[in-house]
This record gives sequence, structure tokens and C-alpha cells, in this order.
Amino acid sequence: MHIAAVDQMANNGNSLMHRLSPVTKVCMTFLLLSALIFSDSIPKAVFLLVLASALILASRANIREVLHLAAYPLIFSVLFALILLGHSWKGGLMVILKALGAAANMLLLITTTPYTDIFGVFSYVLPGIIIDVFIFTYRSLFILLDKLEDMVKSIRLRGGLHPLKLLFNLRNIAGALGVMTIHAFDLSERMYRIYSLRGYSGKIPITREWQHLRLPDFLLLLVSIAVLTGVLI
Amino acid sequence: MSHIHLPDGVLPPVIWIPGFIICFALLYLLAKRVKRDEVRKKMPFAGVIGALMLIFMSVPLGIIPVHLSLTVLCGILAGPGLGFIAVFAVNTILALIGHGGFTVIGVNTLLMGSEIILGFYIFRLLSQKAGKTISAVLANIVALLVSTSLMITIIGSAAGLTNALPLIGHDEEHAAEVQEPDNGEVDRQQGEEPDQEVRYLFFTGWTAVAAILLVGIIIESLVTGLIVRFFAKVRPDLLDAATHV
Repeated sequence: MHIAAVDQMANNGNSLMHRLSPVTKVCMTFLLLSALIFSDSIPKAVFLLVLASALILASRANIREVLHLAAYPLIFSVLFALILLGHSWKGGLMVILKALGAAANMLLLITTTPYTDIFGVFSYVLPGIIIDVFIFTYRSLFILLDKLEDMVKSIRLRGGLHPLKLLFNLRNIAGALGVMTIHAFDLSERMYRIYSLRGYSGKIPITREWQHLRLPDFLLLLVSIAVLTGVLI
Repeated sequence: MSHIHLPDGVLPPVIWIPGFIICFALLYLLAKRVKRDEVRKKMPFAGVIGALMLIFMSVPLGIIPVHLSLTVLCGILAGPGLGFIAVFAVNTILALIGHGGFTVIGVNTLLMGSEIILGFYIFRLLSQKAGKTISAVLANIVALLVSTSLMITIIGSAAGLTNALPLIGHDEEHAAEVQEPDNGEVDRQQGEEPDQEVRYLFFTGWTAVAAILLVGIIIESLVTGLIVRFFAKVRPDLLDAATHV
């Protein structure tokens, strides 16, 4: 699901976009996303797509990976655009442009900001226990993904997957997922014990070292506000 | 299985804004209901359930273009409250990597949350009278049928119900065109009204979508049933949340 690749780009990248405050980047994403949602003409949508793409290029992200990720929204928007094409080609094109622009904005955010920092910004508006679920989900995802990879590999090596035997495959996959779920359950109990030892009382404390905004942060926010205003007028 | 992969800017605000409002209202309600003592024990489990859902979604099903999500199974394991919170986390993470837009998080959470809540209660009800495997399969089928219908209604309200629903209108319209009695009228109509022809083609597409969804529901229900059977043999305590009233 590319989460590891995105994580690598966000944590190891070194560009101006990476150094900006997560608060700025999340706010910028929401402002540009709002601009896209409310944009009503093709030139405006093209401009927003170009702006997000330019910022991605400036962040020196792995373009191949970004294009791969952008393919998902492209495919789904094309399907939807085909439905709308029956009414007008402009409607169909707008759907594709908006989808690509929104995806580019989201990709810009996640390839320049570690997930934990994004969850930290969300913690301003969401209840603590929901943020904890985010963090626990994210933490256990990589451990379980490794387990799944090993499990699928061993099933394949032992002839447990056959391209033409659907029921046989289903039974084996269900067994593997069952084992995985039991493993996940044990993992959650182990995590609970570890966190309890560290003093977990139902809320993971989040340090926000990035609260202070600097000049580039203010500039980017101003540009984003100006873009949204320009689109709305 | 039935969550919307639509990117941002496709669903109209009249759908996704109420989706967010209802979703956040439910989240705050559920977050308040979880007791402080329970939080410590249950949060890691809810997180793991979220991770499991993300992993289940990455399991390929070969030639069938749908993916598992096993939300009903997760609901049976975690219960409706924690399951709903985990579903919100899953949809947010999916939106962050481009699998569905940010604006559809609320709607997607409600769709998948409906699977969790319905699946949990149907399984609880049925497992008191029938076997666990069959109860899990039936709970899954009903929950997925409801959530898939909701999903089609939502997409239909964005694209127009006549375009979204596979079996309404198009075949009758086309039949009427073909049976037109005047000589040459059929050719003339089809030539001058490409919209009708396109709609007919889309009817075919949606029928295919319906078939794919049905196959997906059957596969997901079978896998859920098999996993529940496995748990009943190996770790029956995992099913306690749903079977103990």
C-alpha cells in the first residue's frame, strides 16, 4: 500500500517543504483542497493542479512513487467522469482535474510530513482516544505487514496458492488471516502491557516541537489564503 | 468492502458535509462512552484492529477486482464502538495515501461503520440460535448488502440514480427505441441521440459492477465464516465480545 515508501520520503526528505511546520502544511492542504472543491472552471482547476505539482517537484519527492499513488484517484475519477461525460465533457474533465489536484495536494502533505506529526496536528481537533487509535494503528501496521509478507511467502512456497483453485486459495488465505488476527490480538496485549509499564493512562502524550511558525510558514499560508480567495471570487 | 474510492471534488458538499457531521457526532459520542479504565486496555486493540483492516484490504483476490476489508469480522472482534473508531482511523489513513478523498472520510466511515454495527448485532443475535460460522456468513451478507445499497445510493445521488443503478430505466428505454415501428426510425434515433446510446452502454457497465459486488460479498462472507470457524476452534475467547450478551 506504499505506506512504507511514503513514510521514508516524509522522514528522510530534506527540502524547504519538509522543514515547514506540520501545522502550516496541514492548513495549506485544507485551504488548497477547499479551493479545488469550490473551483467552478477548468482554468482554475488546472492552475491548482499545476501549483500542487510544482510544490511536489520542489519538495524533491520520489516522482515515480508519487505518480504511482496518483494513479488510484486518476482511475476512479476517470470511471466517474465517464458517467458524467454522458451529460457534458466539461463536467467529466472537471472531475478528473479536481481528483488529480486533490490527490496532488494530499501527496504533497504526506510525502513531506511524517504521519505522527499529521496525527499531532489532528489532536488539536479530535478527542485524545481517537488520536491514540491512529498511533496504535500506524505502529502495528508495519509489524503486521511484515508478518503477512512472511506468511504469504511460506504459503506460496508450500503450494498453498493455485491460480485456478479459488476455494482452495480462499481456505488457505482465511487460515492465514485467522493466524494473523490471533497474532495481532497477542500483539495488542503485549503493547498494552508495555504502555502500562511506561505509565499509559489512556492518552499518549504528544510533544509538539513545531508549534512556532517562521516566515516561510506565514508566506505559504498567505499564498494559500490568496489562492482560495481568488478561486471563490 | 463497500467503501467509496472517489477522490475529492466528486461528491457534492450536500453529501459529504452531513457525512462528516454525523460521523463526528458518533465519534464524540462513542469516545465519551468508553470508560477511562477500559481505554487503557482497549485502545491498543482498536489500533490493531484498524491495522488489520488495512492489511486485509491489501490482500489480492486474483482476477476479481475487489478487495477484502473484513469489517464485519473486525466488528465481531472489537464490538461496535471501538470498531467504529478504528474504521475512522482506517479511512483517514487511506485518504492520506490517496485511496479515496479526504472529503469522503465521513461518508466512508458511516458506510463501513454500518457494516460493523449491523454485522456485530446480527452475529450476536444469530449465534445464540445457530452455529458461529453460519451466523458470521449471514451477518456478513446482510451487512454488506445494506452498506453496498447505501454506497450505490450515495454514488447515484452524485451521478444521477439512472446512471448509478444498473437495472432502472435503461433497458426499457432501449427496448422502446429498438421496437420503434417506423422504417429507419431506429437508425435515426440512435444516430441523433448519442446520449441514449451512451446510457445503454453505462447500463451494461453497472450490471457488471453489480456482478462484481455480488462476487465480492460472497467471497468476503466465505472468508469471514472460515476465519470465525477457525477462531471457534482455536481461540473461542476472541468471539466473546459478540457472543456474550
